[in-house]
Amino acid sequence: MKRNLIYMDAKSSKFWNIEQSGNTFTVTYGRTGTDGQSQIKSFADEAVATKEAAKLIKEKLGKGYVNAAPSAPASAPANGAAGDATDEPIPLVAFSSINRREDIGENIGTFVGQRVVDYDADKPVKADVCYRFRSDWETNEVIPNLEAYFETDAALTATALVLGAWHGDDSEKTSAEVVATLVKGRDRLPRLAAIFMGDITSEENEMSWIKQSDLSPLLAAFPRLQLLRARGGDGLALTVPQHAHLRALALETGGMDVSVLRSVCTSDFPNLEYLELWLGTDQYGANYSVADLQPILSGRLFPKLKYLGLRNCQLADEVAAVVVNSPLLQRLETLDLSLGVLTDEGARALLLLPLNTTLKKLNLHYNYLSADLVRQLKALPLVVDASKPSDMDVNDEWRFVAVGE
Amino acid sequence: MVLAPQEAARRIRSGQGSEPIQVAGRLDLSEFPGSQLPAGLHCYELDARGAKLTSLPADLRVDGRLVLDNCLHLECLPKGLTAGSISLRNCPALTALPENLDTWFLDLAGCTQFVDWPARGNIHNGALVLRHCVRLQALPPWIGRLSQLDLAGCVGLREIPDGLSVTSWVDVGGTGITRLPPSLCGAPLRWRGVRVNERIAFHPEELTARETLAETNAEVRRVMMERMGYLKFAQEAQARLLDEDRDRGGTRQLLRIELQADEPLVGLACFCPSTGRQYFLRVPPKMNTCHQAAAWMAGFDDPALYHPEIET
Repeated sequence: MKRNLIYMDAKSSKFWNIEQSGNTFTVTYGRTGTDGQSQIKSFADEAVATKEAAKLIKEKLGKGYVNAAPSAPASAPANGAAGDATDEPIPLVAFSSINRREDIGENIGTFVGQRVVDYDADKPVKADVCYRFRSDWETNEVIPNLEAYFETDAALTATALVLGAWHGDDSEKTSAEVVATLVKGRDRLPRLAAIFMGDITSEENEMSWIKQSDLSPLLAAFPRLQLLRARGGDGLALTVPQHAHLRALALETGGMDVSVLRSVCTSDFPNLEYLELWLGTDQYGANYSVADLQPILSGRLFPKLKYLGLRNCQLADEVAAVVVNSPLLQRLETLDLSLGVLTDEGARALLLLPLNTTLKKLNLHYNYLSADLVRQLKALPLVVDASKPSDMDVNDEWRFVAVGE
Repeated sequence: MVLAPQEAARRIRSGQGSEPIQVAGRLDLSEFPGSQLPAGLHCYELDARGAKLTSLPADLRVDGRLVLDNCLHLECLPKGLTAGSISLRNCPALTALPENLDTWFLDLAGCTQFVDWPARGNIHNGALVLRHCVRLQALPPWIGRLSQLDLAGCVGLREIPDGLSVTSWVDVGGTGITRLPPSLCGAPLRWRGVRVNERIAFHPEELTARETLAETNAEVRRVMMERMGYLKFAQEAQARLLDEDRDRGGTRQLLRIELQADEPLVGLACFCPSTGRQYFLRVPPKMNTCHQAAAWMAGFDDPALYHPEIET
């Protein structure tokens, strides 16, 4: 018996393997790309070992580990000849970033499984990391740094890029110039598969203050793009929402304008597997109703969708009540209603989720659920994350989404 | 031809051309002055709130939202009308829905003349809002599983057909419904938006003033008083007598009951001179005399100016 599990989020990328033989098993774990360390454990007999192994696997799955793809090498091929064999698909789990509410307070340490390093014009450029370009109050070198990076050979093999705060000392500056610079450098980024537009912590700029722009030029410029992640809803647009190969779209906002939702609902992303929308609250610009989600929930878009996240949502209870009726549940693996105002009312609806479908995981981290409803949800034959940050007060009269301002 | 939303709206508003029009986004035809839209229209979203439409073209196609709120002249909808969500709030001329209507979300709030369901249709998965459809006498048997069902103010409704189910709540405020069908057994109840239990909704005769006064949630307490009836509540709660006089109906009393975390309940208990029935009419808590309360009800801020020839 052998199981290979992986875990990726904004901070880490790691693996955990277990191999059982008779009454012993070997656990090997560590950072992705390393050999890790091993432990061997022996038990009285094979049955006990099998039981213990199953227990450990269940524990890991509960923590968010998933099965590693059968043949997924951890790093991108070093050779970057454009137009060669098909791109290495990014594992589905690697599309996630913010798993816990507190993750929003820190810049990411990894992106699609790669280590993130701040670009430094004075240091030699490496090929095996993902660079982050950002400004601070004193220096705004994002554009010249990007242009310098494009001149290096490392850019030719880069598969992922992270854009941090781009505004420098001008808080009104939108992401448009960064988008235009990336589009201009498209020929120097032939393998680009993942972009994070807005790795910006609340300390740098609150999510609802980040000035975004139309990101669809990125879709047109990078045909091998698999993931587009963006943070900030102000000014955010996808005016031409089409891409033949895009597998993941993640839009983090404190309040999503219905026009963005409409773009997603009229999009042409035939290969989309992962859709993460932070819908937010009307305090910060959200103006949708649950009916605006109908085209997504109807299942007629995105035939390959495996992950649906309707996160940070003020109307999580209403969303839950409709989601459980959605034909999408016949193909989703993960339903994510985390970071929103989910109460027992929404949880009672989730108890009606159809079983015996492809659905494996329900992410409800940060919620206003009572212990009783958490217990009932955990009895579902799914991996259910109903954890709460320790400072949450479920009985508080006021209930907020995890990230507004 | 495929047009951008603004161009499509401009053409339709100016009555140009007769080619079929397809719009990828939201077509804004709010306050559209014509009584008809052109044939061959296909859009993702159509917003025609406040339009003067009397009907919709038979071949209209809307993929997402169809908004027809405040279309005061809208009388009928095309057979087989299909959209992700349909909003028809305050369409007072609408009496019937078309055969084979198909949608997830349907909002008919304030359609005061709506009375006829089609023999067949498909309303399922989302919310069905029928607030203040005061003429409505029944729900059809073919409604699928909904997220929410809002029947508040449907005064003509007496029952919900068995087989109808919801994943969230049912609002029965002000309806004549006295119990839920087996298919809705245990469904959370609301009374005009306030979460209530089955006793408050369906067995108000069991409620006592003591438990009503003990209810800490002010909204629930208000519903409980309404369900008990203010008069019965005031009598049981041993209201304080603020003032007493006589009018044509007989003895008239101004009563006051203190409520925790809410303004006091003050009302005039009086008899109708023609029927002899007693009523409790709530007035602002600052009223001190029966005459002042009666004057306030008649719209007089200064009771000295109120000298009715006759009160009925």
